[in-house]
This record gives sequence, C-alpha cells and structure tokens, in this order.
Amino acid sequence: MIRLRVLKQVTLLTFTEFVRTPGSMFWTYGFPLVMALSLGLAFRNSEPLALRIAVVESDFSAAQLDALRANQRLALSLLPRQRAREEFDRGRFLLLVSGSAAKPGIELDPSRPESELAKLHVWRSLQIQASSEPQLKIETIDVVKPGSRYIDWLIPGLIGLNLLGAGLWGVGFNLVQMRVKNILRRMHVTPMRRSEFLLAFLLSRLFLVLPESAVILGFGAWVFGVPIHGSWLVITVLIVLGAVSFTGLGLLLASRVRTIETVSGMMNLAMLPMWLFGGCFFSVERFPELVQRITWILPINHFNEALRNVMTEGAGLFDSSVIAHVGFLGGFGVITLGLAVRLFRWS
Amino acid sequence: MVEAAIEIKELRKVFSKGRDKVIAVDDLSLVIERGEIFGLLGPNGAGKTTTVEICEGLQDPTSGDVAILGSRWKAGGRDATAIRQRIGVTLQDTRFFEKQSVREVLTLFRSFYEHGRTVDEVMGMFSLEEKARTRTTHLSGGQRQRLAVACAMVSDPELLFLDEPTTGLDPQARRQLWDAIRDYQAGGGTVLLTTHYMEEAESLCGRVGIVDRGRIIALGTPTELIATTGGAHIVEANIEGISSAISSEELALLPGVEAHTLTEDQLVLTVAAPHLVVPGLINLLAQKGMSMDGLATRHASLEDVFMNLTGRHLRDGESS
Repeated sequence: MIRLRVLKQVTLLTFTEFVRTPGSMFWTYGFPLVMALSLGLAFRNSEPLALRIAVVESDFSAAQLDALRANQRLALSLLPRQRAREEFDRGRFLLLVSGSAAKPGIELDPSRPESELAKLHVWRSLQIQASSEPQLKIETIDVVKPGSRYIDWLIPGLIGLNLLGAGLWGVGFNLVQMRVKNILRRMHVTPMRRSEFLLAFLLSRLFLVLPESAVILGFGAWVFGVPIHGSWLVITVLIVLGAVSFTGLGLLLASRVRTIETVSGMMNLAMLPMWLFGGCFFSVERFPELVQRITWILPINHFNEALRNVMTEGAGLFDSSVIAHVGFLGGFGVITLGLAVRLFRWS
Repeated sequence: MVEAAIEIKELRKVFSKGRDKVIAVDDLSLVIERGEIFGLLGPNGAGKTTTVEICEGLQDPTSGDVAILGSRWKAGGRDATAIRQRIGVTLQDTRFFEKQSVREVLTLFRSFYEHGRTVDEVMGMFSLEEKARTRTTHLSGGQRQRLAVACAMVSDPELLFLDEPTTGLDPQARRQLWDAIRDYQAGGGTVLLTTHYMEEAESLCGRVGIVDRGRIIALGTPTELIATTGGAHIVEANIEGISSAISSEELALLPGVEAHTLTEDQLVLTVAAPHLVVPGLINLLAQKGMSMDGLATRHASLEDVFMNLTGRHLRDGESS
C-alpha cells in the first residue's frame, strides 16, 4: 500500500534537494545544451568544399583558363611551373594541370576520390571550351532537408543520454550518499515503506526529466530547426518510459552499495557500453552484425530508436517501429524497479 | 494489565569480523516499564547502541527475544510498521537532508505517521520557531540535536529511543533537552536513552542499567546504585608513590572506609563520613613519612559505581 501523503512529501524532498543544488542543475540542464550546440556546429552540413587544383598558367590559353575559372566547384591556383610542382608534391592540391593548350595533362593520386572528382570537372570544362557543339544540359537541384542532418539524428540521442545520466547518477549517487550519511537508517525507523520511498524517487525524476527533455527539444528546434514530426503525447510517453527504465536501473545498482566509490564504479560500468553502443553519437549500424544484435539488450538503443522514428518519421505509438521498443522499455523498467524494491537495504 | 514498554530476554548479538567473533551483547535481559525514563550507561563499545538498535528494529539479534509495546519485530512484516507508528527514535549520528529547512524536515517526518502533533506544536516544544526557515546545514549543534529529538516526537510516540542525545552539547543546550524529555515523560511517555554522561543518567533517569562488555552489571535507581558503593562520599587524595608505600590491608583497617582504589599516585576512598576518615588517613601518612599533594571530597556518583564494579573509568572506552 502506498500512501499519497508520504509519496507527495518524499517526492517534494528529493525534488527540492536536487533543485537546490546548483551543480546538478547545470549537469542536467546546461550540459546537454552545450553538447548539442558544439556537436551541432561541428558536424553541420556546410557548403560543398571547392576542389583545390594547381594550374601551370603559362601552359594554357586565356580562354581555357576562363573556362576553368567559370567552374564553381574548382578553386584554381595559377602558378609558375616550378612552384606548382613543389606544392602539388607536398599534397596541397588535388591535381596538377600542365602540358599545353592542345594537349593538357593531369597528374593526380587515384586513391583520393576527390582527385577523381576534380579531374572530371577539369576535363569537362576544357571539353566544353574546345567543342563548338551545343552541350546537353542536365538540371541538378541541391537538396539539404531538415530531418536528414546529423543534428536531427543527434538530438534524440542526447535526450536518451540525459535520461540515462539523470537515472543513474541523479538517483543512484544520491541514494548511496543518503546511506553513507545514515539518513536512510533514520528513514528506516519510521513507518515509511521502501516502496513509497523508491517510488517517490522515481516521481521526482519524472518531474525533472520532462522539462529537461523539453528544453533540449526546444533548443534543437530553435537553433538548428530540428523537426518534430510525431505527436507530443507519444514523445512524452517515450520519455516517461525511458526515465522509468533508467531510474529503475539506477535504483537497482544503488540498492545495496555502501560507498560512493563502489557506486561510481558501477555507474561508469553501466554507462560505458551505453555511450559506445547506445546509438547516441553515431549509429550502431557501423558495428558488425553480431555486435549490433548484442547491443539490443541496452535499453538506450530502444529509447533512441523509438524517439528517432517518432521525431523524424512521425511514427505513432502503435507503429511497428515504435511499439516493440516501448514494450522493451516498459518491461525493463518494471523488472529493474521490482528488483530494486526487493533488494533495497536501508543501511 | 498493560504490557511493559520494552521486554528484553536473554538477548545476544555476535558480530563476525573475518575469523574473529565479537560479542556485542551477551545474555542481556531487561524490562522497562511504561512511564519510565530508563538510562543505559556505559563506556563506548559496551553494547548500549547495539541493544538499542535491536529494540528499534534496525539490527537483528543473534538470539533472544525482544518485545516492544507488546509486539515483536518480524522482518518487514505488518507488525514492524505498526511498531514504528508508535515509537520515536534519534540515532547517534544525526544528519539531515542538507537542503531542507527545519519546517520541511518536520513536515516530512510528520507525513510518515498516522497520528501526531502539528509541526508548529513541535517547533514550539523545542524552541525552533525562529529557525523554521533555516536549512539544516546552518543549524548549531544544539539546534540540530533539538531538531533530531523533535523529529522523533512529531508523532507523539508512546516510546522514545534516544541514543546519546546530548553528546557534544554545551551545558545549557543539554539542560534544555533534559527539560523537553521530562515534559514528555510527564505526558505519559516512556524513554530509553543511552549515555556516557553520569550526570545525565543521575539527573534524568528514574532507573539506570550500567552496561559493560555486553552485560548489565548493575541495575536500579541512581540513588540505589550509588548506595551500593557503601558510602555517599568519595575522598580522593593525590600522594606521590602511595601504592608502594601503603598496602591495601592497611587502608582497609582505617576506621570508616567502606571501599578503596589504589593507583600509583592516587588513593580513592568510599566513605560514609569524610570528617571521621580524613584524620585517620593523615595519621597513617605521617607514620609513613609521606605528605599529600592534594585532597578532595565529593559525593559518590555512578562513575564510582562503575569503577567499583570494573576497576576502570567510564571514559576509558573512549580512547580505545
């Protein structure tokens, strides 16, 4: 039996203890934004880079040089023969174009795809200039759509990471600290039940992570225009489930630990695979198939995958790309919380 | 008939530390009636806290039986919660949630109990009104201790456990707490407290149990226990080299001496009437050609009871 009065007071307690600690407020609200901003800027989709080529000026006609200059993708350096050779050998250019107006020659390192690309551009520009026949025009359109960029992929992962951090550190660390300080022993001699106590911890986490996730989502939308195609309700359900899973894991890990050092080690041990194999910063698809299969036991993968499907594809709660993950997260949360209540020790 | 507040029968608690076994509580039996302030007095490590924590349901006994207000602890059972509704506890190491105010802490504790006093009432009892909005980290030692006892009393419990409630407090803060505890008793409450301050036990407790090495070695009212030393007064004389100059037999022959303890430079006599004993002592010393560096007489205390029973000082345990 859970008494609402107790639940309310203990939730208020853990909530205010947290909110009144400026340090933890930064790690919860500031840190993910800093991370989103820096990663978003570092990996933003920029203008395609111009291809740097060296041209021996004296070898070509003015019309040929104009034709090359007219190609937007080429960044020309017109140099004397000697210097062009030296700088090309030092790797500063993709191509060295020399020879004569009638017989241009191109040197390149074939292992660099960009060099091949530059070669094609040079070849085409010179061809057009030499030919009197009308060229076949193919219209091309450049497309960079919100939803397919790295930042669009990153934001859901950051929310996942944040829920994970809040669940493990915010809960586990605080709980062990209370045990170390004998505060839990004092709680034990009151008629408060451990289910009331642990549930209150979970509730206070939910009050924290919902605005926290909203801040990250809002930041992504405002600064980078990250789209949210799915429904807010489904996103909220996912965040609640994620928070329950990770808080459950935090409570379970901290259920008996008696020192801060031990719990820190355990948290790190649990966090590391989730950072590496959780699909937060880069896709799990980069790993071999076997590794990918194993990583599906990590709850964060399910959270990230489901949230991405909802945000970028507008998937609904009962779509096959979401509901399986929801089931996993729910099950994980129920099992970890159940075990935590069972194993929990006050002292 | 109403059950006793606490009934302990043949309680034993053995801790295993590696291969060693430490007997913390050794066949301890004790009955505490309702309405008493009962003190467990003894040096640190005597087993007081272990005994109290078993009564509070914090530790399980190795063997023996403990009944609290007629009920027994069964791990996590319904009885346990029912007992906890009826008792109030302060632990030896009092720490609170750091970011909470006095009022918030008391409101939290109040929420755990079905019945009790209002938070304002309890703050009034312990003069904490002015500190209602102060965070617990900013309280003085005395205020913190008062808050600890206030938390224990917010449910208006039938039975109160106080583990060294005044350790580290200044005399004024100590007296304030004593008054609060007496008021609680006057309202019908029962108290089991532990202390290593004999003044505390003498002035506050109706009955005292002296604990040493896990056993109760003396039990009774402070007056009864002091009477067992044979005299109401203690004569302490500092004399250099006394233990080699005077034998135990010679001291026992002095008229009016009930008991004595002899250390290298100190002589402690338990006597009924100091003015009859001191002249004899001076004569004896004159015969031996010795002189006193100092002489003091005082009323006998529980400390002397402990010394008579164990040959050690109460505070000896603190350094070890």
